[in-house]
Amino acid sequence: MNNTVLELENISYKYKNDLILNKINLKINSGEKIALLGKSGSGKTTLISVLNGTIKPTQGEVKLFNESFEELDRKQKSKITTIWQDLRLIEDLSAEQNVNFGLLAENNFYFAFKNLLNISSFKKAHKYMKLCRLHNSIYDKKIRKLSGGQKQRVAIARSLIQESNILLADEPFNNLDPKLITTIKNLLLENVDKNKTKKSPKTALVALHRLDLLNDFDKVIGIRDGKIFFNIKRNNLKKIHLEKIY
Amino acid sequence: MNKLKLNYTSLSFLPILVCIPLGYQLINNIHFGGFKLFQEFLISAFNPKIDNEIIITVIKRLNETILIGFFSWLVSIIFGAIFGIISSNIFYKIFNIPNFFYLTIRFFLTIIRSIHEVVWGIILMQIYGINFSIGIIAICIPYIAVNSKVFAEQLETIDYKSFESINQINAPKFSSLLTLIWNPIINTFKNFGLYRLECSIRSTVILGLFGIGGIGTSIFLSFQTLNFRELWTYLWSLAILIILSGLIFKKIKFNTKNKILSIFFIAVFFITILFSFSYFLYFIFNNNFENFNSVSSLFKSRSDLGLFDFLKLILETIILSLLSTGIAISLPPLVIGIFNNNSSKIFIKIFAFLLRLIPTPVILLTLLTFNNPSLSLAALTLGLHNAGITSKLLFTNLDSQDKRNYMAMKSLGISKKTSWLLGLFSQQAKSYLAYCAYRSDIIIRETAIVGVIGSVGLGWQLQESLSSFAWQEVTIVLIAYSSIAIVGELINGKIKNSLT
Repeated sequence: MNNTVLELENISYKYKNDLILNKINLKINSGEKIALLGKSGSGKTTLISVLNGTIKPTQGEVKLFNESFEELDRKQKSKITTIWQDLRLIEDLSAEQNVNFGLLAENNFYFAFKNLLNISSFKKAHKYMKLCRLHNSIYDKKIRKLSGGQKQRVAIARSLIQESNILLADEPFNNLDPKLITTIKNLLLENVDKNKTKKSPKTALVALHRLDLLNDFDKVIGIRDGKIFFNIKRNNLKKIHLEKIY
Repeated sequence: MNKLKLNYTSLSFLPILVCIPLGYQLINNIHFGGFKLFQEFLISAFNPKIDNEIIITVIKRLNETILIGFFSWLVSIIFGAIFGIISSNIFYKIFNIPNFFYLTIRFFLTIIRSIHEVVWGIILMQIYGINFSIGIIAICIPYIAVNSKVFAEQLETIDYKSFESINQINAPKFSSLLTLIWNPIINTFKNFGLYRLECSIRSTVILGLFGIGGIGTSIFLSFQTLNFRELWTYLWSLAILIILSGLIFKKIKFNTKNKILSIFFIAVFFITILFSFSYFLYFIFNNNFENFNSVSSLFKSRSDLGLFDFLKLILETIILSLLSTGIAISLPPLVIGIFNNNSSKIFIKIFAFLLRLIPTPVILLTLLTFNNPSLSLAALTLGLHNAGITSKLLFTNLDSQDKRNYMAMKSLGISKKTSWLLGLFSQQAKSYLAYCAYRSDIIIRETAIVGVIGSVGLGWQLQESLSSFAWQEVTIVLIAYSSIAIVGELINGKIKNSLT
């Protein structure tokens, strides 16, 4: 049975005269935990943006559940959730409002309106904020008043509240101390492995710089100059692989 | 020889050179017979008429002014926000609408705001006759377009990455739009709302001078009868109204966390939209087109305006704008720099307030008591009024600026004036010039008011053409006005972008 959830077919992306992604072919299967490695500027963020449909590739096709991304409706596309490297939170809204905005896809316009007026329910938002070890004193604080680590966890909570099947994360462990990294890593990946609940992300692709975190992944992809240099099982990863991309 | 190097500081002072040709013409045009009248005008400021009769008139006229000013402000700020949303690029990105519509709406709004509310007022009065509603509609038409520009500019500062992030969540389009624009809209309203209310009141006063009603009409009538004491009673009461409205507005806290207050504002928002639409329909169907019987009259009317005369009027309008802008830019820093002590500052602030308070037609009529009508006089009037506005901004920025550089320079023994120039003003010059670029857009539009009274430029021609119902001429003049304003806006936009 074909259990591919996301597929890139011969993807290239050109920005001005620079070729950022060069003929990338990639299959991501259900339940896989993939680490994406590569130095800064290698094309990791662009690859994530192509995978979640934010960037349209110059060439090639993106498929989600074996269907062309372009042809999918809004509900199907919302099965992907993303944690951005630059977080992309709305600075003038409170932490709980930002987390709640992860629920926009499954709610109507009235919900968005209530969220902005602070009269919507924040019960679910608080649950995920608590899971991300955010103290309740910061729930109603505006994003611009939070520390880097707190913002990072708000972005993670916003992503988790979507309860999507596929998680794409671009360096999600930035700004976090070692204890928090373990907590967040478990939160993001644990259920992928054990498949405890259908609401948790089942498949994850995470861009990383820290090699000590690789143990929790079962596949590693190495990218350099917009090309995939290797796509192997984590157990097969050798020094020579890393030398190719760094 | 060293080359002259222009920087933002020197560019702020350079336009004062316009005073050379301007001063030459003004000195040649002086007639001493009217000085006594001018003196009487100034003395009356300290001795306004106060009795029961005038107090009743003031209250009645202020009520009218508040009504027109407040409703035109409310309608124009709400519809300004709506048009601001549909003329901002974020709206088109979210809904994937082709850019053609974005450009069309922007162009349409640019044309509407290029024509001053006085011009709209005069045209509507010619069509519908004098009517209380004309005041509100005349102010609302350009103000909606002006406000929409401000809202759209704020919405275009939304980080593209926030848009991508919310787009990736794949929420319903209206939910995404609302979440993205909510704070920029609220913040623009908070920062810009009071200023626009003040503008609405000023515009109501100016329209009053042309017969719409309110305190402006009383000001004009008392000027016509040279009853300066009465005139100053109206002007001081207007000053109190503006100061009070500012204080009340500052007291109101637009706290979006207060649920009841938020719901109240939203109710006001929707009620205003509903009321405006129903009132507009009522107005259209219950008014006779008194003088403008059919669109065909536009084509039947003849134009006696020769090409040469027309080009001369355009040139006059452009020169008028440039001279006024020169004064508005350079006069405030020059005066504040020269008279840089605490007591002078208070005097300059009061004088600037009076320049903002007294409507430009009244300033012009006052100056006409001892000077013949000329382009220079119109430019001086417009320049002085706008210098009152630019100086307010400059004072606000200078007062809130870090003064450590200034103090450090003074402690080195550098003179107070030089320390002010290099330690304080030089740091403000860039942002000050950027604001002046925006202000010059308004000056171009305002040439219509002084033109009507000062017998110069297209404003005067417009009044003449409207009085003789020469609709073809009116159309030509309006197209010329719009074109000058649009070109001016484009140039100023480039300047502003290079400064910010």
